[in-house]
Amino acid sequence: MHADDIRRIAAWLAATDIGLLELRGPGTALRLRQDGGDVAVEEITEAAQPALVVQAPSVGVFLHRHPLRTNDLAPPGSTVAAGQVLGLLQTGPLLLPVTAPADAVVHELRVAHGTAVGYGTPLVALLPSNPN
Amino acid sequence: MSAAAEVSISVLGTSALLFEAPGEMTLATQQRIWSLAREAETWPEVREAVPGMNNLMLSWRRAPARLDEIEARLRAAWEDVEPLALQGRVVELDVVYGGEGGPHLADVVAHTGLSVDEIVERHSAPLYPVYALGSHPGYCYLGGMDARIATPRRKVPVLRIPGGAVSIGGAQTGVSASDGPSGWNTIGCTSMSFFDPLADPPALLAPGDCLRFRVKKVVR
Amino acid sequence: MIELLSTSALATVQDLGREGALRWGVGTAGAMDPLALAAGNILLGNADDAAAIEVPVFPFRVRFAADCDFALTGADVDARLDGRAVLPWTAAQACAGQELVLGLPHRGATWPASRAYLCLAGGVDVPAVLGSRSTQLRGAFGGLEGRPLRQGDALRAGAAPNEGFVEGLGLVPPALALPQQRDGLPALRVLPAAEYLAYTEASRAAFWAEPWKITAQSDRYGYRLEGRPLEAVATIEMRSHGIVPGVIQVPPGGQPIVQMRDAQPSGGYPKLGTVIEADLWRLGQAPIGSRVRFIECDWDAALAALDEMQHWLAEARRWVGLHRAR
Repeated sequence: MHADDIRRIAAWLAATDIGLLELRGPGTALRLRQDGGDVAVEEITEAAQPALVVQAPSVGVFLHRHPLRTNDLAPPGSTVAAGQVLGLLQTGPLLLPVTAPADAVVHELRVAHGTAVGYGTPLVALLPSNPN
Repeated sequence: MSAAAEVSISVLGTSALLFEAPGEMTLATQQRIWSLAREAETWPEVREAVPGMNNLMLSWRRAPARLDEIEARLRAAWEDVEPLALQGRVVELDVVYGGEGGPHLADVVAHTGLSVDEIVERHSAPLYPVYALGSHPGYCYLGGMDARIATPRRKVPVLRIPGGAVSIGGAQTGVSASDGPSGWNTIGCTSMSFFDPLADPPALLAPGDCLRFRVKKVVR
Repeated sequence: MIELLSTSALATVQDLGREGALRWGVGTAGAMDPLALAAGNILLGNADDAAAIEVPVFPFRVRFAADCDFALTGADVDARLDGRAVLPWTAAQACAGQELVLGLPHRGATWPASRAYLCLAGGVDVPAVLGSRSTQLRGAFGGLEGRPLRQGDALRAGAAPNEGFVEGLGLVPPALALPQQRDGLPALRVLPAAEYLAYTEASRAAFWAEPWKITAQSDRYGYRLEGRPLEAVATIEMRSHGIVPGVIQVPPGGQPIVQMRDAQPSGGYPKLGTVIEADLWRLGQAPIGSRVRFIECDWDAALAALDEMQHWLAEARRWVGLHRAR
C-alpha cells in the first residue's frame, strides 16, 4: 500500500471515534490505533510462536498505566519478566496487578486503557521467551 | 484581643473551639478559666480543655454536628464557674540578663525608654503565677509581668532561640523549655529542665504554680 | 529490620500523631499526609496507629536486613528494589539483603507531591512516648531518639500481621479519587477564624481569589506563603491562645503562615482562618515553590469533608480486607 494512502486513511481515522483498524490485503497487514486524534501505524507480523494470553483475574477496569503515571507499564515490544506487572485492574479504590506468568515479550494489549472488562477477558498477548 | 467587652467563641477549623474571656487580663479571670477547663473536660465531645492567657481551647474528640448547643453550654458554664484558686509550688530560676543570652534586651530598652537596670529590676521583682502551658513541651505562660516593660512581638520571628531563653512578648513573659523559633524578645537565659517525657507528669510546672526570676548577673 | 544507607535531612518516624498532651505544651506531630500513612497501613494489614518513615527529600536509600513486606505511599517517586521498579501505593515484598532506593519524584507524574511514606508490615518499632511513636523534634523525644534519621540508623519492624499479604495489591490515591482544584491549582477549604473580619475587605477578597506560593521557608512547623500582603484594619495584639495545625496566622509583615504538624500548640499572632482537618494532607503534600488556592467553607461543609475522608478510608479497608482474606 502506498504511503500516501496510509496517511489518508490515518487522517480519516483520526476524525472518527474508532480506536482500532486492521487492514489486510495482498502484501499488506497493517494495524492503525487511534488515541485522541493521534494515529499510530504498525505492521502486523504473524507471531513466530503461539501467543500466551493473560486473562483478567476479576471484573474491573483495565489500565495500561498506574493512575499516578503517564508511562505505560508494558508497551508492545517490551520485554517482561515472570511476575512483572503488565497492567492494573481497578475495582472501587483497589488496583489488582495483572502479571506476566513467564518471561516474555509483550505482543499486544488486547483491551484499550480504561476499558471495563469481565472475569476471563483476554487482556495481554505475550510471546514467551522460553517456549516449551 | 485585649479588653474585649464580651466573651468570644470561635472555631479553629474542625479540630478545636476557642473561648476568650472579656476584660483585662487578670489572675482572677485565669482562675475562672481553670475552673471552666475542669468542667469542659468532663464533656464527651472534648478531648482536652487547654487554658491559654485568659482563654480556653477545647480540642474535639469528635467535632460536634451542631456548634450552637455547645456554645450555649460553654457560656452557661462560664457564668456559673467559681475561680479555682490553685495553690502550687514556687520555683526560683537564676537568670543571666543581657549579653549573648539576651540579644533583644536593647530592643526592650528602645521600646520602653527604660534603662537595662530598670528593666531587669521590674522583670525580676514579681512572683509570676503559671497561667498555662503551651507553645512547646513544658513551656509556661506566666502572668503578672510589669506592664511598663511590655514590648510587642518581633515583626520577623527569630528562627532559633535556645532552651532556657527568658523572653518578653507583648505584655507577657516566659522561659523557653527547648531550642526553637520565637517571635518574642529574648532578654536573658537560665538553666533548668522543664520537661521530661518519661516522667509523670512530664512537665515540671502546672497551672497554679509560681516562678520567681533571681538576678544572677547582668551583662551590659 | 532496615538500615539507612543514605538520607538527606528531615526523614522522620511518624504515626498519626500524639493526642492528649496539649496540656503540657506538646503538639501532635504526626504525618503531614495522614491519608497516605493510613493507606500504607491498610495495604499491609497494620494497626491504624502503626508508624512509618516520612521522607521529604530524595534520594533515600535503605537496605532490608530481613525479609519484609512494605508499601510506598504519598508522593510517587522513582523507587527501585535492587534496581527493579516498585509501584506506588502498592504492597510489595523485600528479601533480606535487598536495597530500596527512593529516587526523585517522577517527571510527568499526574500528582505533584512532596512526601513519600515507607510503611513496613508490623510498623516501625520504636518506643511510644506519651502514647505515640511520632517524632517530637522540639524537645527531642518520640520517633527515633526525637531526631531526624541519618545514615547508619537501623530501624526494626514490629510483628507483622500473620497472614493475608497480597503482593501487588494497590490503592488509587485520594489525590485522584477526591480531586480538588481551582484554576488548575490544589485548593484547600478554610474556615474563617476569630480575627477574619479584622482584615480589610480587599485583603479578604485577595485571600480567596489569588494563588499563594509555598516559599522555601516552609517545613513541618509551618508553611510560609507568599502573595499579596494582608492588611488588618488596625494593629492586632493578641493574647497567647491554643492553636491547631491548619491555623493561618498573619504576622506583621502580612505574609500568612499556615501552622503545620510540628507547629507550636499555642501562639499569639492574629488568625485569618484554619485549613480544615480534612484538607491538611493536600497542603502537606504541596511542594515548595508550588501554589495553592483557598476555598471559603462553613461548618457543615467542613464536617462533610471529614466524613468524606473517613469514608474513603473505610472503603479502602473494606476492599483491601476482602482481598487479604482470600
